[in-house]
Amino acid sequence: MSSVHPLHRVAIAGVAATEMARQLDTTSAEVSLRAALAALDDAGLTVADIDGVAARWPGPGGTVFQPGPADWAEVFGRPLRWVGDTYPQGVPGVLDAAAAVAAGLCETALVFGGQAGVMGGAGVADYTRPDNEFIACWGSLTAAQFALVAQVYRHRFAPDLERVAAIAAAIRTAGSNNPAAVMAGRGPYTAADVLASPMVAEPFRLLDLCLATEGAAAMVITTAERARDLVQPPVAILGGGAEWHRQQYVNPPRYDEVWGLGADAAHRAFELAELGPQDVDVFEFYDINTYEVVRQFEMLGLCAEGEGADYLWEAGIGVDGRHPLNTDGGLLSYSHIGWGGPTLKVVEAVRQIRGTAGPGQVADAEVALVTGAGAGAQYHNAMILGRG
Amino acid sequence: MDGPTGELEDRSLRPLTGEFWAAVDREELVRPVCGDCGRSFFVPQFACPRCQSTNWAYEPSSGRGRVHSHTTVHRPPTPAFTAPYVLADVDVEEGWHLLTWIVDCEPDQVAIDMPVTVKFVTGPDGHRLPAFAPDGAAR
Repeated sequence: MSSVHPLHRVAIAGVAATEMARQLDTTSAEVSLRAALAALDDAGLTVADIDGVAARWPGPGGTVFQPGPADWAEVFGRPLRWVGDTYPQGVPGVLDAAAAVAAGLCETALVFGGQAGVMGGAGVADYTRPDNEFIACWGSLTAAQFALVAQVYRHRFAPDLERVAAIAAAIRTAGSNNPAAVMAGRGPYTAADVLASPMVAEPFRLLDLCLATEGAAAMVITTAERARDLVQPPVAILGGGAEWHRQQYVNPPRYDEVWGLGADAAHRAFELAELGPQDVDVFEFYDINTYEVVRQFEMLGLCAEGEGADYLWEAGIGVDGRHPLNTDGGLLSYSHIGWGGPTLKVVEAVRQIRGTAGPGQVADAEVALVTGAGAGAQYHNAMILGRG
Repeated sequence: MDGPTGELEDRSLRPLTGEFWAAVDREELVRPVCGDCGRSFFVPQFACPRCQSTNWAYEPSSGRGRVHSHTTVHRPPTPAFTAPYVLADVDVEEGWHLLTWIVDCEPDQVAIDMPVTVKFVTGPDGHRLPAFAPDGAAR
């Protein structure tokens, strides 16, 4: 027993994503609740089975006090043994809940979030407009912070722009083929389509950048032992790690500090999994923009710094490529839902391991790599999922 | 940032950063300098990021630096800003850096490593801001 790593005693037993759209006629609380209940249903559980929750409280009602999960305890009508409010989504959300489950603080945790009824109107999503006094006064936006990093990369390595654009085209074509994607049926896309789209913040054009949409996503984390008795095949957490470089969107990110961000987290994740990047069958990368995809393949060491676009052009990132990537259409084309976007990556990876991912299913996918955040945000995280 | 009356906020009252903005209003560029280890740093923090000393003070900067990176924004985050404009991360010669604008030149003339000097401009909210202009640009 002592030889089993704590994370390996935990599994993902249920996942769910609601419908995704540019705008949903509901509230963040309601759409989040729908995702939460659907993930429990996916696992064959009910709210009576949970004793841990990690979720922001989006209101209305509740209180100004943290943590938000205490407000959810009221909605679920039951006391909780563990709550997580630090980063209740994506890779950190799974790892925090898994640590709580492995330590016996709770047995079954629900991690969920999303947004609805908040998008629309002029300008960009409010969470893409950092409000720090040394950022906001210049009219910066999150895409521009990432652009400052990508511009140094371009200056040093002059990547082939068509091959960079081809990455966005491939991910967006996967989204076009995914009926659940916000951009379903809008493709297929070519690199020329990406290069013809309007410039937003150099070097990013509109089709290089992720969506800001509405919907919610949820995950059920429990012991591997309990997961084996539930309706879905358990998905194992083979390894994971995170890096927090500094607070995002305060100081501008510097290429030399952040282009390799995530390498340590990924290294520790692979070490724990006793696997390497070459063993990954499907990549669910945080594709907040095209250059972040290039960066992550270079950061993993699958190719040299400066060679990512050429490498992926040759390797292929479609379902039949050597490195199937963002098989649901990713943040670029499927959806990006505020405090739920990172969770969508886990949802798709779990479905890939189960073999139920739909048109983006990679044949016999056994090992999935999920990442979150990126260079411009100055933190990154990675998790490897496999068959439980 | 502005009150409902439309009057400009007195930025000198801001905690931690008031002295920086007060200097900007006088068209002076300053930066925090650690009194113990000598490190210049930005953004202002309550403690020095190198030695964690709280014994620091604002000191004048030469306002001379180089473009570390830059991006031209074509789609502003709010209608208050008029595109295109050049956001840049400028390395100032005392060893600190800040997000700013590059002004007084066409966006496609801005380049990494280009020498620049502080130039005070008025932002869309009416406050003065420390932008930078290429050395030799018309003042």
